[in-house]
Amino acid sequence: MILGIADPVRFAIDVSAFFSIYLMLSISLNLEYGYTGISNFGKVLFLAGGAFTVGALATRTIMNFYSSQIGNYGPYCTANVVYATEASKILANNPSLAIALFISLLILGAIVGGILGYLASYPAIRLKESYLGITLLASGELLRIIARNYDPLICGSLGVSVPDILAWLPVSIKEVVQVGIMLTIAFITWYFVEKLARSPFGRLIRAIRDNEVAAEAFGKNVVKIRMQVLVAGSAIAGIAGALYAFYTKSVYADDFMPIRTFIVWVMVILGGAGNNIGAALGALIYVLTERLIMQYKHMIPAPFDVNYLSYIIFGIVLILILLYRPQGILPEKPSKTISFEKVIKKIKQE
Amino acid sequence: MNVTLLIDAIIFGNLLVLLSIGLTLTYITLKIPNFAHGDFATVGMYVAYYFLVFHKISPYLTLPFAFLVSGTIALLSYLLVFRPLNNRGMSIVGLMVASIAIEVALRSTLHIYADSLTNIYKVISRGFIFRDFGIEISKTLYIPGLLIVSSILTLALVISLYILLTKTKFGIAMRAAIENPDLAEVLGVDVNKVYAVSWFLAGGLAGLAGALVPFRMATDPEIGWMLLLRVFSSSILGGLSSIYGAMLGGYIVGFAEVIGIQVLSNPPFNLSTAYRPAIPFAILIATLLLMPEGLASKIKLEKIAAKIRGVRGQ
Repeated sequence: MILGIADPVRFAIDVSAFFSIYLMLSISLNLEYGYTGISNFGKVLFLAGGAFTVGALATRTIMNFYSSQIGNYGPYCTANVVYATEASKILANNPSLAIALFISLLILGAIVGGILGYLASYPAIRLKESYLGITLLASGELLRIIARNYDPLICGSLGVSVPDILAWLPVSIKEVVQVGIMLTIAFITWYFVEKLARSPFGRLIRAIRDNEVAAEAFGKNVVKIRMQVLVAGSAIAGIAGALYAFYTKSVYADDFMPIRTFIVWVMVILGGAGNNIGAALGALIYVLTERLIMQYKHMIPAPFDVNYLSYIIFGIVLILILLYRPQGILPEKPSKTISFEKVIKKIKQE
Repeated sequence: MNVTLLIDAIIFGNLLVLLSIGLTLTYITLKIPNFAHGDFATVGMYVAYYFLVFHKISPYLTLPFAFLVSGTIALLSYLLVFRPLNNRGMSIVGLMVASIAIEVALRSTLHIYADSLTNIYKVISRGFIFRDFGIEISKTLYIPGLLIVSSILTLALVISLYILLTKTKFGIAMRAAIENPDLAEVLGVDVNKVYAVSWFLAGGLAGLAGALVPFRMATDPEIGWMLLLRVFSSSILGGLSSIYGAMLGGYIVGFAEVIGIQVLSNPPFNLSTAYRPAIPFAILIATLLLMPEGLASKIKLEKIAAKIRGVRGQ
């Protein structure tokens, strides 16, 4: 036992899994808010979009293809745990099917996230930041309400189980491989956003953030570019949602409360908006704190749920950062340029 | 038309008007939608509940306390968070993030308060409703006390706000400070004081609405947050910058929601009543797409007055 943690390996796997999901969320919010200045208060909408895609389709797809091998256990919603277990058994014998399903659902999650990003921001993207923030936040709540009450999607308030996509691997390495895949995907998105931020497009979105009118005067279509950034960020969040559903192996509508959006904002502002390493650091700090609180929760004697106390603390921390260190722990750095000496040398050579 | 439904719609409209006027009052000062506004209402609700449970006083009699406590919390959030941030030149998005942080902290505090009530004092703290008095006029017509109280309250507050803003020196200074803070400051208006009063009033109005909510629906610490979507919808429909627009928006959203869900949950639609929040959402989206400046921009009182005068002059 280290630090009183009963199972350190399990803890490390858990932290890495949640870190990779929150890293994707914070990096996409950093692209939207840190670099472009978009007030996306509906991050949870796109996370939910990806997760609901997996929840709605994973078991059903296998049931459609292998209907002869799965018995009839009654209606899909009441027996979906059984159906998901049966689907896992089929996947255990079909590694290629499992991989194909995994990849296609991730891509579909990204597409659903992107489409939701386009639809939810369409009414307000031309308007003031405050209107866009309200619209995205409200859209996230609406999707949750629909998912909770519209049974064909994810079985309403019951939620659905997701089959084990890595059932074909030995149990001993299954979780490590899963977390490895998640971390790899998360770092690929991190690298993608980092490259994007350093490209001419990155300079363009920073120009839009710093002075929209000037960017427009240079002939840039500000609305279109903001929309592109939001769709890209939402697609990343959609992938994160799909990965989250595969990791937790279940999807519940009430798991996607607006508080998740707030948490991602805490990460970006704490770590440093406009700095991708900062966004990653913010995600790491939050996930570690949250998982440690979960571990020690039962040891704190309080007549209330300790989670609420942690939300209060995060709220106060966020306000204090905004007041005393608005640039975050790692502030935004000026874009990398060719070093001055090199330029001088080259001129002298000529 | 069903009378009970109409009464429901008027009551819900009254509550939304109280909340939307408050939200508009804070919006016109700092130009941010205050996400914590719903939680000011929840604070007022728990103040009323505290007096009801521990001192056995009717929530109607403790309305001034709900007003004071919620107003004070709103004032403190302005003085301790929004004013310093605004003075440091924080962006609009930054201010909105701060208001979400306050929202989360306040809601969590209320959850802790509710949990403690249950665990320490063994008092129900979620899902309670207040018992209301009422007048039975006939077998089919029953007038709940809330209809009378909330209507009188809303009407009285709107009239006194109108008098404050148009007839008193402070109100005129307030409008000047909101219209053009720099110019008002040059002319000797204490803009900070005006903004502080706006925030206090906004929080107080939300507290009043919150204290009345449990007469109508079962509540918990999330209720303010759930009402917030309706408040945003009605304020944006009203134009976010006009108090009269907020009033109009509040009644339209209140009526649309109560009557709309009644229509939609019956044949031929048979939708679940859980989709209720979709109605204010649809109004919000329609407003943003069709007239983002809101109703207030379409209805210009001065123009109408001028037209009438013009007709008379001819």
